[in-house]
Amino acid sequence: MAQQDFSNKKALLIEDMAEARIMQRKMLTDFGFTSIDIAMKAETAIELLRSKSFDVILSDYNLGKGKDGQQLLEEVRHSALIPNTATYLMVTAETSIEMVMGAIEYQPDGYVTKPFSQAMLQRRLNKLLETKERLYKVNLALDNKEYETAISEAKIVMDKYPSLEGKCERIMGDCFLELKEYKKALALFNKTIKSRKMPWALFGKAKSYYLMDELDKAEKLLNQLMLDNRFFVNAYDWLAKVLLKQDKVAEAQSTLIAAITKSPKNILRQMELGRISLLLGDSITAEMAYRKAVFLAKHSCYNTSEVYLKHLESLARIADSGPLIPRQKDNFDSTLKKIHDGFFDEPDSRAKAYEYEMDICIADNEISTAKQIFEVWLSDVGSAAATAPSKQQTDRYSSAFGS
Amino acid sequence: MEKVNISTILASAIHESKNQVGTLLYQLQTVKESLGIEAPQNRKIIQIEESLKKLNDEWVEYLYLYRLASDGYELHPDTFLMEEFLDDQVFALSPSAIAKDLQLDFECDAKLTGCFDERLMTAVVSTAVYNAFRYAKSKIVLTAFRDETFLIINVEDDGPGFVNDEEHHDALLDDNTGLGLYFAELSANAHTYGETCGYIKKSASRFGGACLSVYLPQTP
Repeated sequence: MAQQDFSNKKALLIEDMAEARIMQRKMLTDFGFTSIDIAMKAETAIELLRSKSFDVILSDYNLGKGKDGQQLLEEVRHSALIPNTATYLMVTAETSIEMVMGAIEYQPDGYVTKPFSQAMLQRRLNKLLETKERLYKVNLALDNKEYETAISEAKIVMDKYPSLEGKCERIMGDCFLELKEYKKALALFNKTIKSRKMPWALFGKAKSYYLMDELDKAEKLLNQLMLDNRFFVNAYDWLAKVLLKQDKVAEAQSTLIAAITKSPKNILRQMELGRISLLLGDSITAEMAYRKAVFLAKHSCYNTSEVYLKHLESLARIADSGPLIPRQKDNFDSTLKKIHDGFFDEPDSRAKAYEYEMDICIADNEISTAKQIFEVWLSDVGSAAATAPSKQQTDRYSSAFGS
Repeated sequence: MEKVNISTILASAIHESKNQVGTLLYQLQTVKESLGIEAPQNRKIIQIEESLKKLNDEWVEYLYLYRLASDGYELHPDTFLMEEFLDDQVFALSPSAIAKDLQLDFECDAKLTGCFDERLMTAVVSTAVYNAFRYAKSKIVLTAFRDETFLIINVEDDGPGFVNDEEHHDALLDDNTGLGLYFAELSANAHTYGETCGYIKKSASRFGGACLSVYLPQTP
């Protein structure tokens, strides 16, 4: 194994325990890293990942009260905050490894189990970076969304390095899905399952069936995956998608609630629960899910106006059947303030915020306040700061104002 | 009082202890560094370090054993280049071998690959090697090879071997409970392919000592 040159590589170390952090930092320095950034929690890590690029990320699974290492990984990989060419090494205790390995959709490039010696970490890093080098062209193509290239490059790597067969097949399967070549994806996942019952291959098969609209087959596989692996919460998410397509909206909602009980800190899952609950007219559950999403959004990659507006919308739907209680009103005001602070320069967001605010006022029978808001809205439309209300909205407000 | 599940309590107690061993190892590392490589205390420190590492590995074995026996372990098989896998094991266990003046090597075809749960097999090999440390005269060799149905991993030593009856190897020292072999067996059993399931076998090694073979079913 060739010794890697770490001196030109940038490292990010994420660890909440001071003792381990100092030790690992020293180890990295001894390996030759000259650029080492430190984060004590996931939220800080996201800020750093937003502003800088890193080649190696060494993250503990257990990060205290906030997000854990796996949630951090899911968020940054999903939002492409770190490229596929970067290496993510997860530090775990022996007992948390199943939770990490259970999360199949986003996996780190490697694991190292505490306690580890300096020599062991160096060896792990060397190997991981060597693998990354071998897969460089594949990962580069993935980062550029050139899926056909990624497939052909993966074939070359697989022939040259048989031990990378599993990794390459998985990448190829996912690329076929991206290219909407579902039959090819299915054939590949089936081939893998024949020799090894890998959970990711079963998951890939289920996704293929879902995308091919063979919903019963997808449902059966996902149920099996949930039985086999209790930490595999992504299977719940996809089962909810299947149920939605089958028009079993209430069942989809309870599936997502089960997923959230297992893993409550995933903002996208909370948003989906909110969306489905609104479809069902269950504005109470929707509000709860969106309120949690608002709480999670601040330090996440998904800090968009949608999260906050959806929370306001769910409260407005509660108000449809009567005035809000004081606690709900406080929630509304606090989220509205966040929109004012962060997203008021987006004309669409501004218009929606006005709309929901007026809904609340009308429910409270505060017609004059609603009128004032409407006037501000119209004047903002004049200065192009807000999107104009629709004909439907204007009619609705006119009748509420009694004019 | 409500009846409690004692094995679950023991397992979590072991987990706690294992974490404390981890902290001790970190602290020892700091002491070692502050003293420098030439320090006269170093030999003793390395001995303590190796004992703690062994303790940690044993706790890990017991935790896996608990989960295997209580059906709570989910197998995570993957494909590995056997040369790399064995090299990893030798690398991790070499400091202990050196401290005991024993030679630890591996032999295997450079192209051989195998499919198994890496964590479990790492624990099995280290358990077998720690066991061999106590009997080997001069060397321990890890090998891996294939037959039609199985990947076979051997741990061979040049000690007295499993002579007379199979208890002999275990009976030399009183503190050996045979738990290691039981663990290896459960781990091998957990690997299945179709109807075929893995197993272990004890035999004589090429060097006149003991040989523990772990059979893991593979795609034909």
